[in-house]
Amino acid sequence: MNEIIRFDDVTYSYAEGSAPALDGVTLAIRQGETVAVLGHNGSGKSTLAKMLNGLLTPASGTVAVCGMDTKDESRLLDIRQKVGLVFQNPDNQIVATVVEEDVAFALENLGVPPPEIRERVDAALRDVGMLEYREHAPHRLSGGQKQRVAIAGALAMDPLVLAMDEPTAMLDPKGRGEVMETVRRLNRERGVTVVMVTHHMNEAALCGRVVVMDRGKVKLDGPPGDVFSRAGELQSLGLSVPQTVALAQGLGLDAAPLTEEECAELIFKEFSRC
Amino acid sequence: MLKDITLGQYFPGSSIIHRMDPRIKLILLFCFITALLMANHALTYAGVLLFLALAVAVSRIKPKALFKGMRPMLFIVIFTAVLNIFYTPGEPLVSFWVFNIAAEGIERAVFMALRLTMLISATFMLTYTTSPIFLSDALARLMSPLAKLKIPVHEFAMMMTIALRFIPTIIEETDKIMSAQKARGADFETGNLFRRAKALIPLLVPLFVGAFRRADDLAVAMECRCYHGGEGRTRMKQLHMTAEDAAVLTGGLLLLSGLTVLGRLGWFIP
Repeated sequence: MNEIIRFDDVTYSYAEGSAPALDGVTLAIRQGETVAVLGHNGSGKSTLAKMLNGLLTPASGTVAVCGMDTKDESRLLDIRQKVGLVFQNPDNQIVATVVEEDVAFALENLGVPPPEIRERVDAALRDVGMLEYREHAPHRLSGGQKQRVAIAGALAMDPLVLAMDEPTAMLDPKGRGEVMETVRRLNRERGVTVVMVTHHMNEAALCGRVVVMDRGKVKLDGPPGDVFSRAGELQSLGLSVPQTVALAQGLGLDAAPLTEEECAELIFKEFSRC
Repeated sequence: MLKDITLGQYFPGSSIIHRMDPRIKLILLFCFITALLMANHALTYAGVLLFLALAVAVSRIKPKALFKGMRPMLFIVIFTAVLNIFYTPGEPLVSFWVFNIAAEGIERAVFMALRLTMLISATFMLTYTTSPIFLSDALARLMSPLAKLKIPVHEFAMMMTIALRFIPTIIEETDKIMSAQKARGADFETGNLFRRAKALIPLLVPLFVGAFRRADDLAVAMECRCYHGGEGRTRMKQLHMTAEDAAVLTGGLLLLSGLTVLGRLGWFIP
């Protein structure tokens, strides 16, 4: 698999002399992956997200997107086009008064010819299932719908990577479900690489890879099955495990089921034996 | 209560005036105001009034809505009329104490009130039939030549769009903060003016802080979507002048310039 983003010994701190937000992070993100970044508050996970498209640049070390160094300002627009970044509060990232105008914003900035903007906006809205709302005012939409519009706004740029900083933190369970469903479908059908900062263990369990951060360092990195089976280590980092894993481990089973079906099957298998 | 506030109220519709290119509406409004200010005789006033009445009829905007919009301006209209009645010199018809009322004064007051009423109604006709987005867009495009004089036209248009976008959001937030403060015993409704103004402080402070945080978030989000000023920017929606628009513009311009010239020269007026 192709490497799209590469962090090489990246260090960063917000203020001189304060504890570093990132401390020697080395990480590669490959095409088509879905990566969840976990960590408690102040672990550096949001800082990591802002490094992905050059909003922040490392104090030492390098971040490269498709081989382009994020410190190279002449390539900044190319980098931002390759890595779409979506934030927590959907209200604060919608610029225009009409849904479709907002999705068009990035393309207008890039100077794309109007007929092509129209096509790409419609395609992006269709991809997130919001096409029928294209003429609505954003403030009349639900939280989940707004966040999907924000995702469409990033998607219209045709990015290789969709990066999200706690995209579901301000949503109700229904909105959270909508967003997760959309993101997974985009990965599956469009092959978009997904990097998602989250503190919901159940969302992380749906990703193909989990990176756990603590005090600016990468502590664990692997498939969710491996990461969540190390419950003790996670607890010492102030994190819990998904409920399914907690249940299995509470029953004394040595496994980390990630979905409810998996969990039910495991329990059934285990206890029908005796 | 706060939900009732609307800025540049807009009544959606499908009349020829609603569909018209907003730039044309702006140009015609400008010409209309010129013709109105040049008018100095009952006949030219009648002509201008006819033009406005025609526009109102075609737009299917209810005259009632226009009068309703006028209400806050009524004071200015009456005040101006009254001043004109008393301060126009001429043969006094009635006089008492230091006041003289002349026939010229009454005539002038009537025309002045008519002029102001028409001016305000015509402006309302523009905002009633044009969505705020199109209006700000049209303004930006008409002023785009000013960018050559280093006037930041794009930035103003962007600010206007963002302001329009965030008005409902901020109103919603105000409602929320108000409820939260009321739940803690804040009282916004009783006391004299001074007390009520003071009661607003716990509302305004969080609102301001919140607005700045939003602005910060929005700036970062805009940067993430490759915003780098107006340079090299394209727009998805282009404004198109149709044949219909051109016809209305030509007709309107001819009529209004005719009225302007008549008003200025006072031809055929005995």
